[in-house]
Amino acid sequence: MKRKNLYNIITQGISDMMIIWMNELKNVVKDQGILIFFILVPLAYPILYTYIYNNEVIREVPVAAVDDNRSSMSREFLKYVDANPDTRIVTYPANMEEAKEAMMEGKIYGIIYIPDDFTKTLVKGEQANVSIFCDLSGMLYYKALITSATNSSLMMNKEIKISKMGNSTDRQDEIATAPIAYDDIALFNPQAGFASFLIPAVLILIIQQTLLLGIGLAAGTARENNRFRDLVPINRHYHGTLRIVLGKSLLYFMLYVIMSTYILVFVPKMFSLPQIGNPFTIAQFILPYLLSAIFFAMTCSVLIRHRETCMIVYIFTSVPLLFISGISWPGTAIPEFWKIVSYIFPSTFGINGFVQINNMGATIEDVSTGYKALWIQAGIYFITTFFVYRYQIIMSRRHVWRRYKEISRKKRIK
Amino acid sequence: MMSLFRRVYNIAKREIFSIVTKPVYLLSMVIAPLFCYIFFTTLMWSGLPSEMPVGIVDLDNTGTTRNVIRNLDAFQHTKIVNEYPDFTHARKAIQKNEIYAFFYIPRGTTEKAISGRQPKISFYTNYSYLVAGSLLYKDLRTMSELASGAIARASLRAKGANDQQAINFIQPVVINTHALGNPWLNYSIYLSNSIIPGVLMLMIFLTTIYSVGSELKFGTQKEWLDKSGGSIIVALTGKLLPQTFIFFLMSLLYNIYLYGYLHFPCNSGIMTMILIGLLLVLASQGFGLFLIGLVPSLRLALSIGCLWGVVSFSISGMSFPVMAMDAPLQTLAYLFPLRSYFLLYVNFALHGYSIIYAWLPLIIMIAFISLPIFILKRLKNTMINYVYIP
Repeated sequence: MKRKNLYNIITQGISDMMIIWMNELKNVVKDQGILIFFILVPLAYPILYTYIYNNEVIREVPVAAVDDNRSSMSREFLKYVDANPDTRIVTYPANMEEAKEAMMEGKIYGIIYIPDDFTKTLVKGEQANVSIFCDLSGMLYYKALITSATNSSLMMNKEIKISKMGNSTDRQDEIATAPIAYDDIALFNPQAGFASFLIPAVLILIIQQTLLLGIGLAAGTARENNRFRDLVPINRHYHGTLRIVLGKSLLYFMLYVIMSTYILVFVPKMFSLPQIGNPFTIAQFILPYLLSAIFFAMTCSVLIRHRETCMIVYIFTSVPLLFISGISWPGTAIPEFWKIVSYIFPSTFGINGFVQINNMGATIEDVSTGYKALWIQAGIYFITTFFVYRYQIIMSRRHVWRRYKEISRKKRIK
Repeated sequence: MMSLFRRVYNIAKREIFSIVTKPVYLLSMVIAPLFCYIFFTTLMWSGLPSEMPVGIVDLDNTGTTRNVIRNLDAFQHTKIVNEYPDFTHARKAIQKNEIYAFFYIPRGTTEKAISGRQPKISFYTNYSYLVAGSLLYKDLRTMSELASGAIARASLRAKGANDQQAINFIQPVVINTHALGNPWLNYSIYLSNSIIPGVLMLMIFLTTIYSVGSELKFGTQKEWLDKSGGSIIVALTGKLLPQTFIFFLMSLLYNIYLYGYLHFPCNSGIMTMILIGLLLVLASQGFGLFLIGLVPSLRLALSIGCLWGVVSFSISGMSFPVMAMDAPLQTLAYLFPLRSYFLLYVNFALHGYSIIYAWLPLIIMIAFISLPIFILKRLKNTMINYVYIP
């Protein structure tokens, strides 16, 4: 008898769950607003974002050269700067004043100044100074100019040394100018590109943020359509908390398995972003990420009273969440307080783990801390979702009960 | 004339009532911007990340190589956290995100260097973390040059040169760098100055759209228009004026905070930036109003406002220069008010240039402020005929 009861409860629960799943599907498909966040944004936003950063690096930053020396040596130095892919000399002003004017007009982002005693100093065998002035409105201008100037000076230095030493073979020249040679190797993002660095993080963040917005919108709609502004309707299928939570989350999960595949597999492929991770490892890692993000969004959604407020509540968090994850701003430089705050959000672990697996070819063992953290978050947020929904059910029953009592009292008075 | 002011005042009073009673306004007008002011400035408090974890693979392990490692550890951005027995272990540590870079010294480096057989050392930087990678690259490259220079200096000394002569020989051309406006290369100055106004702008978009759109949604637009005596201009002025005032106070706050309290460079004087802050508030309100007038559906207009506001951060060119984007984007960037704000900030606060170099962004800001003119009629018609479709 008891076993049959349990069996009944389970089959009833599953069939209710499927009905709730179906209802939620209808809600999503019918609702233009939810479709924007569940379908349109995940489809279009990654493409737009990647397009903005797609050139990866800045090349040919326009600079001015003020050459007070006007000698073959100073011209040689400037030739190196111009030939460097990072910079391009667009103008040769007569003096610094003219160069500054060009900078104010926004025609150039840096000035290279060669003093009039450049050749004289070098020939005397002393150190000659070349000054560079750089516009700091963008760090990348600065990086381009300083790389170009440093490389040019190293090449020039090498030539000067060789001419002074009078060695007999090329090999001797090389060893004497650089007793120790060095190689610099850029790992996992060989051209130090902007899209390759930022986009994988943005992709993961888009998943969490659109889930927050979509689920928040759905919750807001559910309340607005409900007579008592409650999240959970009174309906014989909406009895058990577990079946409501599971029915809804299953729909979001299935939808986001498809969207995540597009976002995390096709978008990087389309723009040839780094993608050296094992697809199965990515899938294994994204599973707890999706679950924790869904339950996190469902927990937060009880705060949403009206459908539109969710945009105001959630959207501004996107930029802080990107920064707090440790991608834009190095994780080791994040103050302890913000680091602890960052553990609340699935995106922190999701971004780092995905970047490690996708860009750097890490295995699940390499990202085990984040992987475990996501499962723990999924568990915690499942429990919180369960309780906030349980509370909502009790509230809606109470509302209905109060209403029922009011009506029956009125009847009695009549 | 008197009655006109009276009506504007009445509408403003009505609006203040709803600002005070609805918590969503408190969030969007005060809490969200304030949170971001504090968040970004405290997150990047150090200005320039220092002591970032770096690994070492020293297969040579002589006094010379250990000295190189000690010197590297003393560099500003670098902190040597671990030594690995071989390349594979170091690579694994990078994949585990324990270090951002490592320095590799093969066996026999010292011996080869002394005997003039040019050994090769290498360093590996992980550019998946671009800021960390770029800063460490600088340290590691300088160290490699210095290691080479130390050997060269030793052999020059042996030939009888003094220290100055040796340095003159090793490095004939020296580069002096002058970073204009931000000589400390402070990342907080570089980013907070644009992100903070960007967040305020985003919240102004949303608040403006929400306050007009929710009238339509909850069906109170007719009462609102009646109270304004049927004038859309009175209705909008009365409604948006209290918001303008609060948002201007918020922009005043960040200007005082950034330039007065944190002493970020402000070469134009703070008054100019306060005026530009006012321009930002008005331009954002103008744009928000334009959106809800153009798309009189709260949900759609808010969605567009969200996307516009978030894309602003990327397309304004504060992190990745607009110059490096594709040609169509370079023009499209002007459709985002934050782009013009960024240019104004660079021109005035960062560099202290004259106003004549900033005419284009100024005109664009004024264009954004006057944008609602085009939708006044449309918005009024909507208000008269609108039926909310959930």
